[in-house]
Amino acid sequence: MVAHDADAERASPEETGRRRAIREETARLRALLRAAGTDPQAGFPGSAADWEARLATAEELNARLRASEAFTARLLAASRDSIQVLSLDGTVQWLSEGGRAAAGRPDEDVIGTPWAASWQDGDRVAAEVALAAARTGRTGRFRAPSGPRDAPRWWDVVVSAIQGPDGAPERLLAVARDVTEAQRAEEQQALLMQEMAHRVKNTLALVQAVAAQTLRSATSVDAAMEAFNGRLMALSDAHDVLIRGAWAEADLAAVVAGVMAPHIDALAGRFSASGPAVSLGPRAVLTLSLMLHELATNAAKYGALSSPAGRVAVTWALSGDEAALLRLRWQESDGPPVAPPRRGGFGSRLIERSLVHSFGGRVGLRFPTEGVVMEFEAPLAAMQDGISERS
Amino acid sequence: MTSDPDRTPSDAQHGGPSPACDAAPVVLLVEDDGLLLMEAADTLAEAGFTVLEAPHADQALAVLESRPDVELLMTDVDMPLGSMNGFALARLVSRRWPRIPVLVVSGMGSPGPHDMPPGARFIPKPYAPSALVRTLHDTVRRAA
Repeated sequence: MVAHDADAERASPEETGRRRAIREETARLRALLRAAGTDPQAGFPGSAADWEARLATAEELNARLRASEAFTARLLAASRDSIQVLSLDGTVQWLSEGGRAAAGRPDEDVIGTPWAASWQDGDRVAAEVALAAARTGRTGRFRAPSGPRDAPRWWDVVVSAIQGPDGAPERLLAVARDVTEAQRAEEQQALLMQEMAHRVKNTLALVQAVAAQTLRSATSVDAAMEAFNGRLMALSDAHDVLIRGAWAEADLAAVVAGVMAPHIDALAGRFSASGPAVSLGPRAVLTLSLMLHELATNAAKYGALSSPAGRVAVTWALSGDEAALLRLRWQESDGPPVAPPRRGGFGSRLIERSLVHSFGGRVGLRFPTEGVVMEFEAPLAAMQDGISERS
Repeated sequence: MTSDPDRTPSDAQHGGPSPACDAAPVVLLVEDDGLLLMEAADTLAEAGFTVLEAPHADQALAVLESRPDVELLMTDVDMPLGSMNGFALARLVSRRWPRIPVLVVSGMGSPGPHDMPPGARFIPKPYAPSALVRTLHDTVRRAA
């Protein structure tokens, strides 16, 4: 069957090798018959039975040829590829059912037209180059779109020579495979790589700023080291929370839980968090995590979490028209008496500046004797920026 | 950099305001991330600049309209809160205030062919603070 396919595929429009063999065999038989009629002495190379056998062979060859052609037609129809036979100058001579479906036009609009012209401007050159390669017996290959500009199909196109009986290219075969899905996946991958590179750079810039700010306000190298590590871990925890939401969003409760987790041993029953389900965007998650980390660290050193009886409550609510405003409150109580910090360190600067600046909100950080209070409100839309980016 | 005629050893040493300017050059920083802005503002203030801040393009334009003494604009690209990104702001500023040099800072690889206005400089994030200060001093001096 393999030999059939190869023969049949080579030139369905015209004479195949098998057809030629039959024609030649028939001609030889006719010549023998003629010789027998004119010269009885010439003699048949064989008996009548031989003749019967020869004719039977010819008929069988014919039957096999028909079956082979029918099979070839089914084979070509079964292929999802767009298969076209071109003349050496690149004119379309024949196309498979896949080719017809890809063209989306009646055969008569395609057959007789230059194949390269069916590709869009920039790809026409690639098509011509592929044709030139095929004419010299090599394989031409390119990838190009076709169809509507807003939703093109992408094709992996291979052009090769169909050899004539003498082995020289007689016609060209253009097979285009639909690789739209692969193309989309590659584009998506390239986009993701670019996005990741952007994020890594931004993260490095953020870490750089945290490091520099930590060093600016540190009293000693050891203190700077400890503070920086804590901040880096807070950012790392915030990343974990974000990755769970495919870096698109995170629930506020999860963000609060992530920040407080390192303190949780000391917190049994002394920490509470409550509020409605609120999704936050990546930027808000990072900023809020750093802020809450500063508050928690401060509380563990000097505030409510530094004494066994102290408590911390984090509460939040949505308010305003259409719940467009997020209000969050950090409240410490039952800890040692609070003394306001002498100078604004990293934490208080971050809280006072970052949130207001980044999200257009308002923030209040107060140090009443009974416990530190931080309250902020910010437009929910600003805190949720980035959530829709993924869709 | 050694061939840069604008950079003299004395500048590099004191790192202070350019001798060409009497007062501290006024730079407008446009950056949506509060922490990055805080650090950049500290860096530039220490280097002798007077720093004005804006979290997004619209606020930056308001500052430019009210402060004719702004000598330099340094802007981030992605600023979701404003009505335009940093590239659009850079182009607008270079048209409306052609005397103000523009620096665009971003974590994205490099700007597209039509993103930047002519003459503007692109600085990738993260940047070395000392290089930023040097670039800003050079830029102010060239514009003077």
